[in-house]
Amino acid sequence: MNPLLKVRDLRTTFTTGESVAHAVDGVSFDLYPGETLGFVGESGCGKTVMALSILRLIEAPGEIVAGSVIEYDGANLLGLPPRELRRIRGGEIAMIFQEPTTSLNPVLTVGSQIAETLRAHNEVSRNEARHRAVGLLDLVGIPDPDKRVDQYPHQLSGGMQQRVMIAMALSCEPKILIADEPTTALDVTIQAQILELLATLQHQLGMAMIFITHDLGVVAGIADRIAVMYGGHIVEEAATTSLFRRAAHPYTEALLKAAPRIDARTDRLSVIPGAVPPATDWPVGCRFHTRCPHAWEHCSGAVPDLLPLPPEHRARCWLVVEPHRRRT
Amino acid sequence: MLGLVVVFVLCVAAALAPWLVPYDPAAQLDLASGQYLDPSVAHPFGTDFYSRDLFSRVLYGARISLTVAFLSVLLSVTIGTAVGLIAGLAGGAVDMVLMRLVDAALAVPRLLLLIVVLALWEGIGLWGLILILGLTSWIDASRIVRGEILSLKTRDFVTAARATGIGARRLAWSHLLPNLAAPIIVTATLGIGQIILTEAALSYLGIGVKPPMPSWGSMIAEGQQALSNAPWVATFPGLAIVVTVVAFSLLGDGLRDALDPRSR
Repeated sequence: MNPLLKVRDLRTTFTTGESVAHAVDGVSFDLYPGETLGFVGESGCGKTVMALSILRLIEAPGEIVAGSVIEYDGANLLGLPPRELRRIRGGEIAMIFQEPTTSLNPVLTVGSQIAETLRAHNEVSRNEARHRAVGLLDLVGIPDPDKRVDQYPHQLSGGMQQRVMIAMALSCEPKILIADEPTTALDVTIQAQILELLATLQHQLGMAMIFITHDLGVVAGIADRIAVMYGGHIVEEAATTSLFRRAAHPYTEALLKAAPRIDARTDRLSVIPGAVPPATDWPVGCRFHTRCPHAWEHCSGAVPDLLPLPPEHRARCWLVVEPHRRRT
Repeated sequence: MLGLVVVFVLCVAAALAPWLVPYDPAAQLDLASGQYLDPSVAHPFGTDFYSRDLFSRVLYGARISLTVAFLSVLLSVTIGTAVGLIAGLAGGAVDMVLMRLVDAALAVPRLLLLIVVLALWEGIGLWGLILILGLTSWIDASRIVRGEILSLKTRDFVTAARATGIGARRLAWSHLLPNLAAPIIVTATLGIGQIILTEAALSYLGIGVKPPMPSWGSMIAEGQQALSNAPWVATFPGLAIVVTVVAFSLLGDGLRDALDPRSR
């Protein structure tokens, strides 16, 4: 099967004065039709910047470095003229954001915002667009869509606002949905509803999905494959079950250990010491070695590639080739 | 609130002036005995040198002052919004050039420029005056709009809207402009007060609204010669200017408080 989206060596930098932040630093992955690829990592790992880069939504002083490739449908999105790019945005690849409350325009009714997207991609009359907006609100499970369509964002709850965002994203039946922490701002029960809705709609419409989160529990439930990001790199990539069963990168291990579990009582959750270093100043060598319990001299010298761990499991860690170095 | 009430009353009075005035503002009642009559029941504001009824003239003056102010502000806010929108949205070199031009325009004393233009361009008429006033007063609006655009551009919903694939023009028109309504309305309201003052100053100098059209500025100029024996001739148009300008300022401030919770 051919990948739907092929990302190769994606690099996005932000230049402020003298310093350059390498927010995304050489990310490569494939997304296949219909699958869900989860991206996990702490804040500051480059997840959101990567997502924005795919749709070229990076604004100055941010810049996608020449040589990066984002190939969709045989064309490199980074070389597309603006008209073509707009056709892709929302039409072929849609995106939903972390904060539904701030992602909706406060002075426009939700119906007119959905209609706006519809009219950007289809030749439809104002009436027809409104009619379809009502249908979409119904699709995403908003009760009373006839009434809600004329309401303003502040009249809806956070969960409903996120449903509106989903309706807007799905209005033109995209092939790929990028969901950037779509449930982070919502409380747990609403979160479960939104995840279920996304999964259902994905099946109905046969979309591929890029699902970004920092919550391992969430990604375990929804993703087919998971890419773990750290320091602007993908540090581990595997099928979901494989990743949870035999995490190979110490960072993934640490993330798993730090997640609370319902089936094991602990008094204290384990934490990863330190914080993600600033993107202007990544450590030389493996970017995790400053926080890694297993690190040895080699780790501060050279960055490993994503080393294969058959079948279809890859980790950017020297432990893959020198497993005896692991400290217990 | 007070501002709103006064502005409302003024606008209604100006609009209905032809039906409200007791006399034709240009009619000379009785040149010999009707000159400089004291304010009385028959002539609430008295009469002037040409024995015209001052109340009628002040009311007609409101009509002209408000018309000039509204239309000039409409023009200036339109230009200012367009310039601010383009500078804010385009950014980079376009923004640089436009804003340096604005800075340069700001360095020219406005009243002096107006005096030169109006003095050189005689017979400019009311429409010409509106045009000139509008063309010289859009700077503030453009800077305010540009600032708002710069801050709106970083908001999540603008990124979200761009992610849906709408074009830059639609983005500006249907997402950004509605968010600018509040600051634009406030700027326009405050601008009206400013323009009324400027127009009065120019008319006082005899180069704004020309006689025999009644204008508050030129009425003060006419009343000046009789300040000692008929002070009301200059006082009533002066009061009208003060009340109107204060009312628009109050209304503008009130609107700002009501529309923009941050400024409180």
